This record gives sequence, C-alpha cells and structure tokens, in this order.
Amino acid sequence: MSTPVLQQSLAPILVIEDEPSVIAFLRAALERKGYHVEHAASGADGLALLKDGRYGGVISDVRMPGSVNGAEVHRWIQQHRPELATRIILISGDTANSETQSLLERSGTPCIEKPFRVQHLLQVVERTFGKP
Amino acid sequence: MALAVDAAQSRHLPDFLKHFAERSAHMLRSLWGGVAVFRGRETELYTGSGSKSAEGRESREWLFACARELRGEIAVRPLPPEQAAWFASPQGELPAVLLFVPIKASDGERLGALTLASRSTALSGGEKRLLSALASHAALSLENFRRFSQLERSKRQWVEDIDAISDYIVVHDRAWNIVRTNRSLASHLGVPPAALVGEAMVSLRPIAETGSALPCPFCMDTQQAREEYVAASTEKIFLVSTSRTPASHDEEARTIHVLKDITDRREAERRYRELFDSIQEGLFFATPDGRFLDVNDAMVRMLGYGSREELLRADVSPHLYPAPESRERFLRALTKQGVLRNYEETLRRKDGSLLHTLQNISGVRDARGRIVQIRGLMLDVTEQKMFQSQLQRERDFNQKILNTTQSMILVLDTAGLISYANRRCYEAGYQEEELIGHRLVDWVDATHRGEFEGALETTAHGHQVENIELPVRRGDGSMGHFSISLSPMRDEQNAVNSVVVVMTDITDAALLQSKLAHSEKMATIGRLVSGVAHEVNNPLAAILGFTDLLLENPAVPDSAREDLQIILQETQRTKDIVQDLLSFARQRPVQRELVQINNVLRQTIKLRSYDFASHGVEVTEEFQTDLAFTIGDAQQLQQVFLNILNNAYDAVQESGQRGRIRISTKQRGESVEVAISDNGTGIADPQRIFDPFYTTKQVGKGTGLGLSICYGIVRAHGGEIQCWNNGAAPGSTFLVRVPVATDAATNAVAKEAGR
Repeated sequence: MSTPVLQQSLAPILVIEDEPSVIAFLRAALERKGYHVEHAASGADGLALLKDGRYGGVISDVRMPGSVNGAEVHRWIQQHRPELATRIILISGDTANSETQSLLERSGTPCIEKPFRVQHLLQVVERTFGKP
Repeated sequence: MALAVDAAQSRHLPDFLKHFAERSAHMLRSLWGGVAVFRGRETELYTGSGSKSAEGRESREWLFACARELRGEIAVRPLPPEQAAWFASPQGELPAVLLFVPIKASDGERLGALTLASRSTALSGGEKRLLSALASHAALSLENFRRFSQLERSKRQWVEDIDAISDYIVVHDRAWNIVRTNRSLASHLGVPPAALVGEAMVSLRPIAETGSALPCPFCMDTQQAREEYVAASTEKIFLVSTSRTPASHDEEARTIHVLKDITDRREAERRYRELFDSIQEGLFFATPDGRFLDVNDAMVRMLGYGSREELLRADVSPHLYPAPESRERFLRALTKQGVLRNYEETLRRKDGSLLHTLQNISGVRDARGRIVQIRGLMLDVTEQKMFQSQLQRERDFNQKILNTTQSMILVLDTAGLISYANRRCYEAGYQEEELIGHRLVDWVDATHRGEFEGALETTAHGHQVENIELPVRRGDGSMGHFSISLSPMRDEQNAVNSVVVVMTDITDAALLQSKLAHSEKMATIGRLVSGVAHEVNNPLAAILGFTDLLLENPAVPDSAREDLQIILQETQRTKDIVQDLLSFARQRPVQRELVQINNVLRQTIKLRSYDFASHGVEVTEEFQTDLAFTIGDAQQLQQVFLNILNNAYDAVQESGQRGRIRISTKQRGESVEVAISDNGTGIADPQRIFDPFYTTKQVGKGTGLGLSICYGIVRAHGGEIQCWNNGAAPGSTFLVRVPVATDAATNAVAKEAGR
C-alpha cells in the first residue's frame, strides 16, 4: 500500500480554531484531499500539542478566546519549532486589524480571510505544506 | 441896686437902656443922654427922652464914630454950634460938650459907650466918679443881658436839636412824671410835646417796655447812672440809653431815656444771622494767618467740630491743611487775584478724615492793598468727588467688560438703528461706518428678518428676548449662526428708550457639538459593526465552505446544485456586506501625498461619464483654476466623490426630470470646498444621511454604508462633509471641505517622497 509512504511524507496538519463549524469544514475539506488533521480548540491547547507532537503544518485562527491568539502561536513556533516557521497558515476574520497586518507583513505568512472558497483554501495549503 | 438887671428885666433891654440913659442925663444935669451898644461892627443907640435931632442919621453916625474912637476913661468932646444943635434940649438950650464914658466888660471888652450932652465943659471929681459908676453898672447889665440871651439861644437850640433827633427822648423826675419829651416821641403819640409834660411815665408803656416792674416802662435799674438795654413792643424794638442826673442844690434828679428804634437793624441782623446759619454752604470770615473770625453752623458741621466756639477758639489752620504748601498756594492765588472762584481744596476734618471742598473766596484789603480778611463760601463736594470717582471706576469697569467680552454687544435706539457697538464687533470684522446709524436687521439673513423684527418689537414693549438663533451676515460677508439676546433699556421715566443686543457667533459651537455627537455615534457604531462582522464571518466561512464541498461532491444531484448555487450567491452577498461594514469600521490609514482636488474630481467623473451620458444627465464643472493643493489620499477622496456622484445620479434618475449635476470647487480661507449639487429628489433626512445603514434605496441596492465611509474618510483628512436640500430649488447639495496643504505639511510630504 502506498498509504504508509504518504503518512511518512507528511505529518498531520494542526488546526487551531475555536469555531466548531469552521473546524468541521476545514477537517472535511483537508481530509477529502488526503491530509491528516488534528485540532485544538484554543491557542493554549494548540501550543500543548505542538510541544509533544510532530506536525506537517499549522493552520491557526488569528482571533481566539483565551490567553493565546494566532499571533502568539506564530511567535512560539518561530522560537521553538523553527522547522514549522514557514509552514503556518493564518485564517482571519478581520485582516484590517493593524496587529494582524504587521504580523503578516513581517513574516510573509500566508493568510486566508474568512469567508473563503474551498479552492482558495486548498491552493494555499498545497503551496505552503505541499501535497499530502 | 435899683438898676440891677435881672433875667426878667433883660427881656426889655431897650427900655432899660433908654431909661438908664435918661436917668444918667438927669443925674448929671445933662441936656441929653444915650447909650451906644456895640454889636460886632454894628452900633445901636438907645436914648432917653430929649433931643429928637440926636436920633437923626447924621448925628448918630457922628456920635458912633466918636464912641468908637474913645480911648481911656472919660472923654469930653467940645461941640461946635452945628453939632450942638443936634443935642439941644426941647427948650432949645444948647450943650457945650459931649461926655463919652466907655462901657467895658469884666474882661476889658468894650461893650459900648454912655454919652451925655453937658452944659459945662468941666467935670467935678464927684461927677467923674458918678459917671464911672454908671458905666460899670451899664457894663454889668449888658454883660448879664448877653449871657442871658446866649443861654436863651442855646436853650432854644437844645430844644430844637433834641426835637430834630428822630430817636425818642423823654426825661422824667423821681416821681415818674414826664418832665420833657422831644417832638419825635410826642408826634409818635400824636400830641404836642408840651401836652406830655407832667404825665405819668407809665402812660408811655404802649411804645415799648423793658419788662421791669418799675412805673417807668423804660427804666431797668434805678441805681445805674448810665445803662443801655433793649425794650420792645410787639412791633418795635428799641435800644434804650438811659442817663440819670443826680439831685443837686437847685435841681432834682432826672432820668433821661433815649429810645433808638432798632427794629429794622435787629430784623436785618436776625435775617443775616438766620441766612448765615441756615444755608448749607459753609460761610467763614478768617484772618490771613488762618484764624476764623466767624463761621456758620454748616461750616462747623463740615469741618466736624462740636460747636462754633470750638472752631473759632482753635488755631485750626495747621490741622486744616494736610499739606502746608497748599495753604500757601491758596494765599498766593488770593493775593494775586483777589477773588477765587470754584477753588478746589482738600481739607482735613477734626477727626482727620479728608474733606473735598469747592470754595469761593474774596479777600478784603486795607489801604495799602494787603489782605486783612478772607471771606469765603465753602461747599462740601466730598460725596460728589467720591461719587465721581466711583462713577469713573464703574464706567471704566463697564467699558472693560464691554471691550473684553467675547460677545458682540450693540445698542439700538427705538427705531432699530445701531447707536453703539463694542470693540468685539470691530474685531469680528464689522466696520464702524457700516454699523453705527444703520439698521441691525439688515445684517440678518433676509428670510429671518421678520423674526428679528418681532423680537425687537417685543423688547420695545419692555420684555426681554433671550437666545433666539438666527443666521446673520458676518463682517467678512459670510453667513454665521448667531445666538441673539435683546434686553430693553429704560430711561428715568421707565420708558424703553433703547435695546441692548448681545450676539454670539455660535456657528462653530453648533457645528462642533453636532460633529462631536456624530463622531461619537460613529465610533460606537464602528465598534459594534466590527464585532458583528467578525462573528458573522465564522458561520459564513462554514456555509461558504460546505457549499463548495457539496458542489464538488459528484453525488449531489443537479437539482440540488442549483439551490446550492443560490446559497453560494447569497453567501457571497453577505460577505460583501460584511466587507463594507469592516471597511467602514476600520478605515485604511490616509496616505499623505499632495492632491489636486480638481484632478481627482475629473478622474471620478470619468468613471461615471458613460452612465451620465447614456442617461442624459448633464454634468457641469465649475472648477477654480488655481485651486490650492491639499494633502491626503487621492484614492480615498475619489471613493468619497464617487459615492456622492452615485447618490446624485440615483437621485436625478428617480426624479424623472432631466438630470443636472453641478460640481464646483473653490478655495475659501484655508479650505478647499467641493460642492456637488443635483436637481434630483433631495434627501429625506439630511441629518441622518451619514449614519451607517441609513438608506433610502431599495432593499438590495446598497448597504447604506457608502456615505458613512465617506464621512470617515473626510474626517480622517481633517475636513468635513455636509449636505442639505437646495430649499426652493429641487435636489440637494453635498459640500466637502478639506484643508489646504500648509507649507510645512507640503515640505514634510516632499521629504517623505524623496526618501
């Protein structure tokens, strides 16, 4: 079977998102394309998973309740998981937010604005993480 | 002696002398006798009976000459026959000689001569002695007669004199009976003076009385030899001078009263004193060295002394003049001018407080021209002075208030003409010549003049009108929004004679207030919208995503796909709305570059020119050619103008008329103004047009956020946006005002661009 090869080639994608409907959609869209998806419902949960786990990429919402938001997740990865530094996609409800904008400009991190079309999502994912 | 002359005889001196001459002739056996009496230069001859010829003129003159020539004791003058005939006896016997014997007074004065016509030329010793004795007897008689007649004359004179005196004179004896009165007194009573003699003094009581209990109404104290006092009746006041002569051996004691009518003098004095003391001005008589001789009550009061005596007693001048040199100045001026009118002097009262006076002074000079007395009238003007300075202070204070207040204050007369305008009016740009004497109402916007005139009418009836808000033309010609209060000003009769108008330009204040309220509202809405948009995006992302997934799913039948397409479409529209909301809530930061508004407008018009042309909408451009640059974001400004143009286009389309859009630019002060007017349907509520979601358009035709976004952009440029309906003409006007680029800002932008 060729699946083990695939599994070996790309570790699961960590989706950090607090909105269940958005998680459900992301999981459905990504898994249908063959990506493995794990998810964390908050920034803090996401960081806990990142400390122990091995992931092929991170998709994180920018604005989340709790103490850790998308920008902080991004910073933590830059510091502690440099191999993932270029494998982050942010999704945002308001790119006009000046804090988000400066983050995006500094790092060149791709950002998808909600609401987004599924094709747009898959394009950015494939370009950033590669094919599953 | 038989020949002794007594007073009674002396009255008949001629008879006596004739008798004496006759007797002497007889005693000396002479033919004729005569006595020549010298009276000054005149000579009178008294002869006894005998020769008539002796009384002829010729004989007399001869005789007198001889008598005056007479020297020594007895002269014997021989008579030539012619002269002898003059002195012949009645029987015709002629005398031989004339004997002359001088008659001398005791002091040697020759009083006259005794002349006898004698038969014999020689005289015996006996005859000589007899003649001498006769001469001395004649001398004594003549002397007595002279004294007596002098006495008589002077007595008569005295009576005449006292009768001539207008004062009443009465003499009474110890029995209180009238001895004598003068004519004045008698005529006062209407009787001859003699009628009063012997009457009781008490009968004179009606004239006046001293008030003593004595029987004489004019006596006070019988022990006093001389005294003076006043007696009065209801009509008259007399000064009574009384003398008493003591009793002597030949006369009894007399009391003489002289009554001087001093009624008028008393009255004059009383009036003078009354006037002196009753007038409110201070009157004084003073010596040049500063001592008061007399002062009136007002003067005493003014200077704060307890009594006239106290003021007269004290040497007050060192205390009176706070500055000694001012007294010297006063004396110099008085010496030089003699009279000082309205002379101002500050004096010191007894208690030390200051007294401001106004004096009228005259100096009384002696023969050498030195001032010996100062007479003056003094007015206390302290209160006036204080009042005056207080008035001045108040006036200054009021002036200061009027000049420093930020409100324009004007005074109108009852005809509405401006009679006064405070400094603020001129600072606000009005010219004096266009205010004073002109009607204030002419400055009020033509459509509101009735309102102003109504207010003026109300004020003229005595009622205050407060805070009416009217458009008024400013000094620079622009219209401003003014709050105006009118108050009636009344004269002493309480009639309204003018109106005080207080005007405050509240254009900025009103605008600022509405702007503040608006931006606050906008900020609140912005925060709300931002939150809502964000929350909506999550479900929207899921809807859109799952719809996409379903559409990709080959298992979904075609009929369902069509429904999914609609969901997709509506989701897309929802997404657009949310995007608009977000761009309203979070404006992009304004780019800072030099912008020529005219160019921005031209490009904007070009964007819609096809639509305008194809729908017959006429667009006119009235651009100021040398319009100043502004600093801002050309793209955002274009968005603003496009939005307004879209609105105008929709409005003229709806109206069904031939559409006209007029776009003008103009620089006004430090701003560039863009006015976009249309002749469309107008705006239902210009106050709400910039509110988010306020739309009059059909559902689905707009989000209602366009003008809110415009509002935000213009505000971010430091400008403002307004809109109003054109009033009489159809349609509405949008006005965008953005500040002109300052030199400093232009330089900063140039630097930025060059970096």
